[in-house]
Amino acid sequence: MKNESTVVERIVTTTESATLSRYWMVSALIGLLFSSVAGLLVSLERIDLSTASIFSTADDVFQFWTAHRVALVLIAVLPLMIGLATAIVPRQVGASRLVFPRMSAFSFWVWLFGALIIIIGFLANGGVGTPEATSETQSVALTLVGVLLAIIGICGASTSVLTTIVAGRAPGISLINIPAFSWSVLVAGTMWLATLPVLVANTVLVYVDMRGRAPVNFGSEAVVWEQLSWAFTHPQVYLWVLPLLGIVAEIISAAFKNKISNPFLFTAIGLTGAAGFGAYAQTYFDIGTPVFEEAFSIIQAFIAIPAVLLVVAFISPKIKDLKGFDKQTTTPAVLATLSIVLLLHGVVVGAVHVIGPLELATRSTVSAQIVLTLGAGVLACMAAFSWWGELLIGKSISQRKILISGLTFHFGVGIFAVADFLVGFTGQNDFTGVSEFAAGTDGSSWVETLNVISFIGSLLILLGVIAAIATTVQHVLSKTPATGNPWGVDAPEWKLTEKEEVA
Amino acid sequence: MATILPPAPLNRPRTLMVGTAFITSAALMFFGCLFSIYFSIRSDTLAWGMEWFPENAIELVPGGMNMATLSISVATMGWAVYAVKNDDRIHAYLALILTALMGIAMINQTVFYYMDIGLPIDHSEAALLLYVITGAHLVMVGIGVIWLGLLLLRAFGGQDTSRHRDLVSAASIYWYSTVFIYIFIWLFIYIGK
Repeated sequence: MKNESTVVERIVTTTESATLSRYWMVSALIGLLFSSVAGLLVSLERIDLSTASIFSTADDVFQFWTAHRVALVLIAVLPLMIGLATAIVPRQVGASRLVFPRMSAFSFWVWLFGALIIIIGFLANGGVGTPEATSETQSVALTLVGVLLAIIGICGASTSVLTTIVAGRAPGISLINIPAFSWSVLVAGTMWLATLPVLVANTVLVYVDMRGRAPVNFGSEAVVWEQLSWAFTHPQVYLWVLPLLGIVAEIISAAFKNKISNPFLFTAIGLTGAAGFGAYAQTYFDIGTPVFEEAFSIIQAFIAIPAVLLVVAFISPKIKDLKGFDKQTTTPAVLATLSIVLLLHGVVVGAVHVIGPLELATRSTVSAQIVLTLGAGVLACMAAFSWWGELLIGKSISQRKILISGLTFHFGVGIFAVADFLVGFTGQNDFTGVSEFAAGTDGSSWVETLNVISFIGSLLILLGVIAAIATTVQHVLSKTPATGNPWGVDAPEWKLTEKEEVA
Repeated sequence: MATILPPAPLNRPRTLMVGTAFITSAALMFFGCLFSIYFSIRSDTLAWGMEWFPENAIELVPGGMNMATLSISVATMGWAVYAVKNDDRIHAYLALILTALMGIAMINQTVFYYMDIGLPIDHSEAALLLYVITGAHLVMVGIGVIWLGLLLLRAFGGQDTSRHRDLVSAASIYWYSTVFIYIFIWLFIYIGK
């Protein structure tokens, strides 16, 4: 029978996981572009803090500084991960399609609507408030609504993927035998569902207080970010990129034709997920006693333990047989390796920055840790696109272009992180603008030089993102058909034929 | 030659239950966060020797009535699951209607209490948290009532049977968690104040 539906109808009503996956990933790349531009502008402003270069007030800088982080997590990294999971997980667990496909589609549109509102809210001088409370209250409330919608979308899509893994698996596949990526999504998704509602609770509290009469406390624009910031910093950021571990494990295993032991790897991923739970690190739970602070630091530094296990899990099988490396897999293997290297650096910086005597907890080191960790997530998604690209878009993939964009992005993250890590030791705050912007910093040449280097890093990150978007668009528009199983690997996702269309 | 895995059946029997369990867990975390903030700020406020709720602002009776109503609804919800499992359609209709009515009664009582309490939302952090926690719970009960209404429609259409009772079981998981959360509201807000 002839399909009478229009293009718009097909776009809006599709429940195919591969199509939804493309929607998630393309939208997330645009979100990543927004985040990178915001980050670049803040870096540019930071080069010379004695005068206003781009922004007129410290509050304006704050808007873009927070926009960079909120967008990076809610509009870029999480949707990228979900996009990958939406397409790959059903294939890996032998499900004929995603469980709750309509909910998955609905979740995408809710998220997209929320993401657009977040961007509009930030551009309309709202965002998550400002320290001097010069933001527009209505716009702040609008941004909060956007945050709520985006989280609801992410939670809905996560539920769909998680249920597919838990209850939609093909008969005979036990959880311990599912591929590493699906396991990492299971752990990550569960932890997302445990922590995102906490962020929702914070946001609702702020919103209700703000929309009531005079705010009693939570809804004061000066303290909004303080209440939500735990979701955008150590240790919570590890949770947002947790599927990275599965992506890397799969690619490295295939590249070296040497499977990483499932129980060991799965335990390490589970421990990383547990250690990444950061919902307790809220303003209202901080009782401010020295004992608490010390305990808090020790707990946060524990994230290093699963990281060590991960290193052992990834490296030990490779040492035995380095000659087994399949050169055909160079691009995904290189990108995957670089992403795990970035993550490990992020973990180390995260563990270092909570050491009390170093006094780095509120310095630029935080920024280095966040960009390293979330940047690792983005790079892992590039590696995944290189690895599973044919499944995602059904076209042949040009590995060289992905490698160039990935390397540009990687070097950008690396340069930015090194500069911000070092400048943190000079005493530069994570957010430079509250007092320094108006009064001017001490302006030592070291600080200025490092800030210039940090700007160069931001620029490279932006270039990498633009290259990734261009590469993705080019591939989507390409007419070169997929070659089937380009790596010749014996993995379930390359074997199953999708039959997803809901009758 | 590589073995191709067989596709999973289109409608796995437990998917709805598992999905509901995930969503319900998320709802529990939501309320967990609100309660944690409530206890943390209450503890700080009392430690400073300040008043949390104004004298006689929170009455025990409305909370107790709601708790009793929801407790009865646990029994009626269980009755609905049992009736559907045994293909006892008349009892299933009756149990679902009664459960939904309990939910509506609870919403009605709480809204009446809001009007009667005389505590503006911007009075204090305590008042704000009271309205946010109980209000969010009302939304949860409201969603439960809508779900029960849909179940009723399906039941009238002959869709919920002993062979296809997943939606009723999933609704019961959700409803029990709603009552479970209210136990904390009753204990710590209405009784503990």
